[in-house]
Amino acid sequence: MAECVECGADVDLHDDLEAGEIVDCTTCGAELELTDTNPPVLQKAPELEEDWGE
Amino acid sequence: MNVGMLYSRIRKDEKLLLSELRDRGHEVTKIDVRKQRFDIEDAPEKFEGLDVVLDRCLATSRSLYVTRFAGAYGVPVVNSPDTAEVCADKVKNSLALKGAGIPTPNTDVAFTKDAAMETIEEFGYPCVLKPVIGSWGRLMAKIDGRSAAEAILEHKATLGHYEHKVFYVQEFVEKPGRDIRVLATDGEPVAAMARSSDHWLTNAAKGAETAEFELDDEARALVERASDAVGGGLLGVDLMETGVDEDPSSARRTESDGDSYTVHEVNHTVEFKTLNDTTDVDVPGAVVDWLEARAERAQGKEVTAR
Repeated sequence: MAECVECGADVDLHDDLEAGEIVDCTTCGAELELTDTNPPVLQKAPELEEDWGE
Repeated sequence: MNVGMLYSRIRKDEKLLLSELRDRGHEVTKIDVRKQRFDIEDAPEKFEGLDVVLDRCLATSRSLYVTRFAGAYGVPVVNSPDTAEVCADKVKNSLALKGAGIPTPNTDVAFTKDAAMETIEEFGYPCVLKPVIGSWGRLMAKIDGRSAAEAILEHKATLGHYEHKVFYVQEFVEKPGRDIRVLATDGEPVAAMARSSDHWLTNAAKGAETAEFELDDEARALVERASDAVGGGLLGVDLMETGVDEDPSSARRTESDGDSYTVHEVNHTVEFKTLNDTTDVDVPGAVVDWLEARAERAQGKEVTAR
């Protein structure tokens, strides 16, 4: 469990989440990045950049 | 082996690879490139002891530089900076394919609106205008007439980054409602899928439906040649069928369907989660098999789990 930085709601986190994964806040819909796993830290995910892709 | 994974976001693709590597007992060093600083001589601490580095950067700009740094540090990197450089830029991609004699859509590049307009008029309508750097079908324009062409060129010239003033104009290929994505390792296909959509863009990222696709000998040969043309590696090769009647219901191309393909693009940080869900092939398993062999060749020794 971690706190959404956008709305403050609790966000459920799966046990196997990796730092760098994106989770959605089910309360406000914000895209959040898990920046650390121990303890879990959520930050607002970066906005899509033009050069992102494959 | 100790595998460094360069990333700034862990997508399902990276997670599948991390799982596969760890399940096999390999050590994995995750390297968030946003937190690193790259000296032009000395490698960051995170690079110490790595047998191979896998570039999974989401941002093309970072991918280009960080693979170049890895090469400079003497760490084997997948894909190589040279492959990344060719694949990241649609102009270089097209030149490499054409230079290798591989069928690829007719393409012109112009640097001014007037020159681009001349090219567009010569191609006729519809034709396609693409950004030279970009992915997932973003900022692609199918131009249906002169008015649309004028507006799009004006917007690109006025609003865009300088790269948008490199006008990459391509013929519109009448494909049968789908294109084909092949994931290949050094030219050897791992799996392939057809991506179908009613929209002219058939990227999986745009919501295209996918189905496993059985490659024929012609397609296999083209994939191998396309891979060689860009320097090899772990690649996503995109093909369109030419001379095929539109029939999106068929996911298998038969001999009577048509007579050739055209290769429109090769991708160097290929995503494969959709392909993995579409096919029975264990895609991350096959990628790690190849990575182990690649690291072994680079190190000149047997790769073992630690």
